[in-house]
This record gives sequence, structure tokens and C-alpha cells, in this order.
Amino acid sequence: MSGLLTTSVGSFPKPPELQAARNKMLRGELGRDELEQMEREATAFWIKSQEELGLDILVDGEMDRGDMVTYFSELLDGFTISGLVRSYGNRYYRKPIAVGPIGRKNPMTLKTWEYAQSLTDKPVKGMLTGPYTIAEWSFNEYYSTFEEFVMEVAKVVHDEAVDLERAGAKYIQIDEPAASTRPEEMELVARSMAVVTKGLTAYTLTHICYGDFEAVIDDLNSIPVDNLDMETANQDYSLLELFRDHKSDKHLTLGVTDVHTHEIESLDQVKAGIRKGLEIFTPEQLFIGPDCGLKTRTADESIAKLKVMVQAVNEIKAELGIA
Amino acid sequence: MITTVVGNYPKIGPGTKAPNLRTAISRGDRGETTPEQIQGVRAEVTAEVIGDQIQAGIDLVTDGLIRWDDGQTYLARAISGFSFTGLIRYFDTNTYFRQPVVDGLLKWTAPITVADYEFAAANSSKPVKAVLTGPYTLARLSQDQKYHDQKKLVLDLAEVLNQEAKALQKAGASVIQFDEPAILKHKDEFPLFQEAMDRLTKGLKPTLALYTYFDDISGVYPAFLKLPFQIFGLDYVMGKANWDVVTDVPSDVSLGLGVVNARNTKMETEAEIGDAIKRIAPIVPLDRLYINPNCGLEFLPRETAYQKLVRMVEGSKKAAEVAA
Repeated sequence: MSGLLTTSVGSFPKPPELQAARNKMLRGELGRDELEQMEREATAFWIKSQEELGLDILVDGEMDRGDMVTYFSELLDGFTISGLVRSYGNRYYRKPIAVGPIGRKNPMTLKTWEYAQSLTDKPVKGMLTGPYTIAEWSFNEYYSTFEEFVMEVAKVVHDEAVDLERAGAKYIQIDEPAASTRPEEMELVARSMAVVTKGLTAYTLTHICYGDFEAVIDDLNSIPVDNLDMETANQDYSLLELFRDHKSDKHLTLGVTDVHTHEIESLDQVKAGIRKGLEIFTPEQLFIGPDCGLKTRTADESIAKLKVMVQAVNEIKAELGIA
Repeated sequence: MITTVVGNYPKIGPGTKAPNLRTAISRGDRGETTPEQIQGVRAEVTAEVIGDQIQAGIDLVTDGLIRWDDGQTYLARAISGFSFTGLIRYFDTNTYFRQPVVDGLLKWTAPITVADYEFAAANSSKPVKAVLTGPYTLARLSQDQKYHDQKKLVLDLAEVLNQEAKALQKAGASVIQFDEPAILKHKDEFPLFQEAMDRLTKGLKPTLALYTYFDDISGVYPAFLKLPFQIFGLDYVMGKANWDVVTDVPSDVSLGLGVVNARNTKMETEAEIGDAIKRIAPIVPLDRLYINPNCGLEFLPRETAYQKLVRMVEGSKKAAEVAA
């Protein structure tokens, strides 16, 4: 019997010198090659760290991505970028603008994935942002409806997933953090995801966070992926209760560590969380990960949180007699 | 016909003369700038965005709510009885605010926005509209750990905001706007909303505006337009159904026609603005019409917000000439 596979959601913190180098590159004070070399070194650090921690499914840590949507929009045809808009407090970002038909010139994530996979025998997840989130977090000056925009983006995300699968990715995650924006559009999230995952043989996951899912739990279950990756620790696992009454065949990645706090969870806290998950899901159905990407934490905090997580999983596996 | 804005205006612009507020706040976080210096930057940016609105041709301006992080916390921080918890999403936008928590009885203790109004009025050659978030929306977007009685909570907040409005009135504000987008998401609570609006507006002399956005008023029309206000701001972009729903506007009130999309960068044409004005003209005569974006402009980059206002003013002028 196997089960309780461990993984991370996607992003890890960038070393401060990489952040500084990226800013230098943007100011033209550093060559792109030099930046890429630093990104590769940072990727290698996180692959090695994840191997040492004993995680089952690795991520490249997204050392070459500034964010989840702008990264893709800069590589796709049809997008330009806006001036600064504020998201909250003193946080600003530049928002993509669809100004023409969205198209993909070249594979976007393949090179980084291949490099990361070349460093390890463990599987590395292909990491993509879903069409609903890309469209929702952009302005739209081109498509006549939001729905059309989403469905067109779905085609290019599908093409990228196919490339990752052909290159050997066993796991492909398509994140939809914006999925909870309008409950009535969860159906569109599912419909566009069907375009993305159509014909894929790789194991697919989607990470969804930040929202009230009670009204849309059935739609959530209908998103055509193998595994729903949910943040659960930071809501004291209340989200799990929804799945108790609305069970599906889907697998779940249970978030057992809150990424928005410096505090490192205790071993008992994490084990209690996993046990809650096991009340509803079988060990085969249940993956264990952090709530969300860890990029907002420091490297030390991230590693400490993952260490507790892996230890908690190992102890529970021993109790259950899982290899 | 009067051109106006709904409330907030982008805080950061490209190549502006005022110091950069974002940089000032970051420096403040690192202890390199004093709170007084940041207030000074906010004042300079406020003066700049008032100037932008006037330059675009806006008749009735706001201070751009440059001092506000969002519609909730700026007021709640100054009202006794609130504390704050985690970030939550503001309606269906990709903006977030720290959620106010009601953990004490709500009390108005001192003016919150009066100094802001006075500064704006002193720095504007055009009339300035004071803007407040309404009690229903403020209550809806907060977490209640004290009252456990929605009605009492909303009515207490209405009382608090009535006192704030009275302070603005005393300072000389001639137009006060209340924003109530949340009622359109909870229309079943309209009876409570009516009661709250009565409490909110009691004894107020200035021209009062009630603005809604992100939806239409189907289901609460025509009662909505009989609430005790003189101007009703409706969203005709995200609430397109308002075109069909609002077939009659009482002759003693004005309509704020939200026709410019403040949530997308796609530019309206002058013709589109003109067509909207022509379309509304049989329902509201032009002298009872305010033309404005559908909501606050802060979802847009500064340069786009400005260009949209210029278009809106030009389109409105042409429509008025045709009608004259």
C-alpha cells in the first residue's frame, strides 16, 4: 500500500541576490544569461533541498517567475502590460492587457522544467497557471466576452501541457487561484480546464485557494483534474468538512502548513491535520503539501515547515503500515 | 449635466510631479520616513489628482481618496469598536482589504474625513464632493463579533456615519456621497437598508448622493429611487440591466450615469458616451444628469484613468451640444 505522497504547491522563496539581479537585469545592468545562470543555481538549491527533505513530488520553485500571470502574458502573443495598479495596502503590480488574439510562440516553461528534472530522479511537476486565472487577472481589450477570452487562453495552456507531457512530465499542475472570484463562474473554470487537460495522460492537479466554496463544491469536484490542491490549514480544516458530505473520486492535496505565518507548525498540529484528512480520504487519495506557494516565506522558514510536514507524514505512515 | 467621478483615483502615476507615495510608504515601513512626511506626500498627491480631474474637465471632483487604503479600513480605523483581521477580497475584484471586526459598540468619537475635505476644498477650483462608505456596505464587509444582530449593527453604523456627515456639513461640504455597493448583492435586506438610509440622512442639509456599483437595481426599483437622497449613482456597465429596469426617475432627483468602465482599460469612444446620454435623455433630462465612471477609478493605471475621464468629458460635451 502506498499513499500520503508529499509535494509543494509551486513557488519557493528566491534568494535575495536573485531578486536584486532580476532588478539589475530590468535596468539593463546585468545580462539575461547571467540572470539565467543565477536562476539555475537557485533551482538546483531547491531541488537538492526537496530531495534532502524527502519529498515525493518536487517542483522547480519558480525561480524564473515574477508572478503567476504576468510571467505567461509576457511570453504569449496578444498581451501587453499596463501601468501600475494596486492590489492592497502598498502593493502594486502591472496587469496584463489582452490586445489581440492570444497565441503561443514557443514552449514557455519547458526549459526550466527539463533542467529541474535533469537534476533528480524524483518526478518534478510541470507548473502552469490556468486559463480562468490568466484571463481574470488581466484587462481585456480584445475579446468580446470574458468567456471567449478564457476559452482562448485555455487552448494555449493546453498546448503547453502537451509539451510538458511529451518531455516526460508525470505530474502537471494547473493553478486556478482566481477560481473563487465569482461562484457562478466555477462552471467556466471547469469547462476551460477540460480544454487544458483534454487527452493528457499525465496526472493533473489544480491549486485553488482563497474563497468560500460551500455553494460551489459540486462544481469544484467537477473540474476535470485528478487532484484538487486546497489550502486547508489556515482555515483550521473547515474546508475538509465540505468534502465529507460531497465526496468524489478525486484525490486531494491537503494543505497542512499555513504559508502566511512565520510560525512553524508543531508536529502534533500537522499530524492532527493529516488525520482529519484521513477521516474522509484514503491514504492513496490524499497528498500532503503546504497551503499555498511558499515564496512569501524565507528559505529557512520554508524548509522548517516542510521538514515538520514530512516528519508528520512519515510517522503517520509508520502507524498505518504504509511503505 | 455635470461630470463627476465616483470616488477613488489611482495613487501612483508615471512621471508625476508629486513625490511617489509608494516609495514614501515603503521608506516609512523601514523607518526612513516619518508618518508626518508620508502625510505630506499624501497631501501633494491629493492636490495633484484634484488637478488631474480638473484638467480632464470634471465639474465635481473628489480628493481621490488618496489617504484611503480601501473603502472600509480608512473609516473603521477611526470608529470606536473596530479591530482588524486577515485580508479578504473586495467583491469580485482582484483587490483586497484587511477585514474590520466589530468587537465593541460602534461610536463616532471625532471627525474622520473633515480635514481631508477641507484640504481638498482649499486645493480645488471646482466644487468638491465628500465621499463616505455607507453603513450597510461597511457592516456587510466587516465581521461581527459583538452585536449578533445585523439590524442593530447597521443602524448603529448609520448613526456613526450620520455624525460624520454632520461634521462634513459643518465644515461646508455641499455634496456628500455614500457608497452602498453591497445592497445590490443582498436585495432581500432592502427593508433594513431603507431604515438605515433614513437614520443615515436624518437632519443633513447638503445635497446627498447614494452610489451603487457592480450590479443593477432590479428587484429594488422603483423603491430605491425614493430613498432620501437627491442623486442616485447607478452602474450601467456591470449593471447593464439598469437600462431596462430604470424606466422612470422621480422628477425631484438626479441620476449618476455610470457609463465609463473603470474596471477595464479598453477605452470608450466619445460616440459611445454620447449614445448613452441620448439613450437616457427621455428618462432623465440633462439638467438632472451626472455623468461618471461606473465605480472608483483605482482599478486602472493612472494614465488610463485620466484618458477615460477626458473621453467622458468630451463625449458628454458633444452630446450636450447636440441636445441644445
